[in-house]
Amino acid sequence: MKKRMWTMAGAVAISGALALSGCGGDNGDTPSGGSINLTVSGWSLETTPEFQVLADAFHAANPDVTVEIVEYDAADYQTLIQVDMSAGKAPDIITIKEAKVTHSWATGGQLLDISDVVQALPSNVSGAGSYAIDGVNYGAPYRQDSWVLFYNQDLFDAAGIAYPDGKWTWDDYAKAARDLTAALGAAGSQALGAYEHSWQSTLQGFAQAQTPGADLFSGKYDYLKPYYERVLALQDDGAQATFGTISTNKLTYQAQFGKQQAAMMAMGSWYVATLVTQQKGGEADNFKWGIAPVPQYSSSTFAKPVTFGDPTGMGINAKIDSAKLEAAKQFLAFVASETAAVELAKIGIVSSVTGDAVTAAYFAQAGLPTDDLSKEAMSNHVTKPENPQGETIGAIQTILGATHTAVMSESQSVDDAIAEAQDRFENEIEI
Amino acid sequence: MTTVVEPGLRRRRNRLRWRNTVSGWTFILPNFVGFALLTLVPIVALIYISFTNWNAFGAADWMGLKNYTRLFKDRSYRVALWNTVYYTVFHLPLTLAVSLGLALLLNRKIKAVAFFRTAAFFPYITSVVAIAIVWNLLFSPEYGPINQVLSFIGVDNPPRWTVSSDWSMPAIIIVATWREMGYYMILFLAGLQAIPRELYEAARVDGASSWGRFRNVTVPCLRPTTFFVTVMLSIESFKVFDLILVMTDGGPGQSTFVLSQMIFNKAFVENQYGYASAVSVSLFVICLAITVFQFLVNRRIER
Repeated sequence: MKKRMWTMAGAVAISGALALSGCGGDNGDTPSGGSINLTVSGWSLETTPEFQVLADAFHAANPDVTVEIVEYDAADYQTLIQVDMSAGKAPDIITIKEAKVTHSWATGGQLLDISDVVQALPSNVSGAGSYAIDGVNYGAPYRQDSWVLFYNQDLFDAAGIAYPDGKWTWDDYAKAARDLTAALGAAGSQALGAYEHSWQSTLQGFAQAQTPGADLFSGKYDYLKPYYERVLALQDDGAQATFGTISTNKLTYQAQFGKQQAAMMAMGSWYVATLVTQQKGGEADNFKWGIAPVPQYSSSTFAKPVTFGDPTGMGINAKIDSAKLEAAKQFLAFVASETAAVELAKIGIVSSVTGDAVTAAYFAQAGLPTDDLSKEAMSNHVTKPENPQGETIGAIQTILGATHTAVMSESQSVDDAIAEAQDRFENEIEI
Repeated sequence: MTTVVEPGLRRRRNRLRWRNTVSGWTFILPNFVGFALLTLVPIVALIYISFTNWNAFGAADWMGLKNYTRLFKDRSYRVALWNTVYYTVFHLPLTLAVSLGLALLLNRKIKAVAFFRTAAFFPYITSVVAIAIVWNLLFSPEYGPINQVLSFIGVDNPPRWTVSSDWSMPAIIIVATWREMGYYMILFLAGLQAIPRELYEAARVDGASSWGRFRNVTVPCLRPTTFFVTVMLSIESFKVFDLILVMTDGGPGQSTFVLSQMIFNKAFVENQYGYASAVSVSLFVICLAITVFQFLVNRRIER
């Protein structure tokens, strides 16, 4: 009893402090006269129209349910929503911005078990696994970006090099990056063959998803080695901007690809919408580009390329009014349905549902490439989670983040850095 | 022999004492309420949380000293502690020397002294994010102006600064010193101007050299200021956070990973508020111990 009081005092103190910085959520109205008002947490509604699109589409299909979006600050979303959850003031439906928080939210008793909803979803929905703990589902994915290879067709033409054909291993990619750099340099261009952003996911995400047997929770990270060696060689040969330059000059990937500083770039599919907007608005140059599947670990996966990405999903607040529960479950089933996916595709969002209708709606937007490989790259792939579910995932990613900066800055050899990561795993994770 | 106090007198005296207590409390009340609500309660809650495994939600299990024993075994904690000490050991004397030097320089009657004083203070009032971005550009290993100057004057392998695990901490220390020197310079200037002029005149009459005057007049008279600056600087150094977060984010590897960043990561990235609180308490104890030590040393010198 006393313990709980202290905990509450702590929660009150922290939520009080955060309340001063201007956050807060509304409890939805309780149902009256057959109409139900559901609240959903969202962020940056101005630039993230997906929430309103889902709300409107659901309301159109279910006129007696109104969905209201509660806006949070995007950068501090996780902290703010946690404060609201522990204060019992969070919306009925909670958007899970980063899948890796699911574990602490679910074990903290904040999310309802919605296995009945998720297990009834059609098989063409991917990403639900990121919200499952020991076979219990806590979230339904509505959005699933995955990493693809963007390439600048104009620069490839100028260099006289064949476009990616969807059958590239990483060695083919490295060779193309070197050839492009040399040919573009000879043609008087400053552009490099490839750009690899400084995030740890640009390298570790692929190594983790593609290498057979790779497992973040195993504490064995040898599988990173070939990926690092390949990229360090590219960096030393000048075929891509060095990590030092990227981090000290704060290069942005949007400018590097959009301003034609690099001919190829692996990036999440969210960048499609950004690039289209920036080309329209003049922030990016006007050039022809295409999308190819990401290079593979070996030729065995060319038919169904393996890539990675984390979904965005929604769960139900454990403190929801029981009268609204049924409507909330309907809403979650809806956001992961093909109807919703088509609506999302129209505004350039890659949904968790794949299918011909979704792909057709997505590529009907103006400014997108129209070739078959681009369409295939966006619709045919296996997307593994970047952050598989587990209590220790945050701590493991922190350790591997340090490995990434140590190796990429060439402060430490690949072997030493991997050995250190494994030592730290032993020391810090398995306590 | 016992003094017999009249009942009436005692009552009056009690009333006076009561009135004094009430008025005393009234004076400190506004400040105390703010302090209690915004500082004391969170600190007490923090100490409690450090003995639990609280993960931001209701359920917190009592862990006893488990978080603290884990602290001693945690390699990252040792790395963070070592880096924090490394930063403090170099940053503290360097900032002290530079800001005292600046204060001495700008305590003379030179032209445009107000301009120079303001200029030295500028870094302190500039946004730390802007500072970090600009210094990162300056430190850029391949195209940065600093390394270009170094290669121009014949340094073969200029340091790779913020992207080298050996040079990232020195780079941070340089920027931090540059940023904070103006603030401590102002404190030293105030101290310098409080030194009575007569002392210098007397020393000059006695034939003391300028070094002698500095050694025997300036330094002893500045001691209260120096003490204050040292205490503030050591606490600030142990708490270093924002500059490192924006400049290197603790990297490359763990080369600039400090205690306050460990607290931030454990709490807000990994949701281990209990463990993060234990790290905070340890940081608090370290700062307290250093401050107490400094006070003891100061008192001994004073005697």
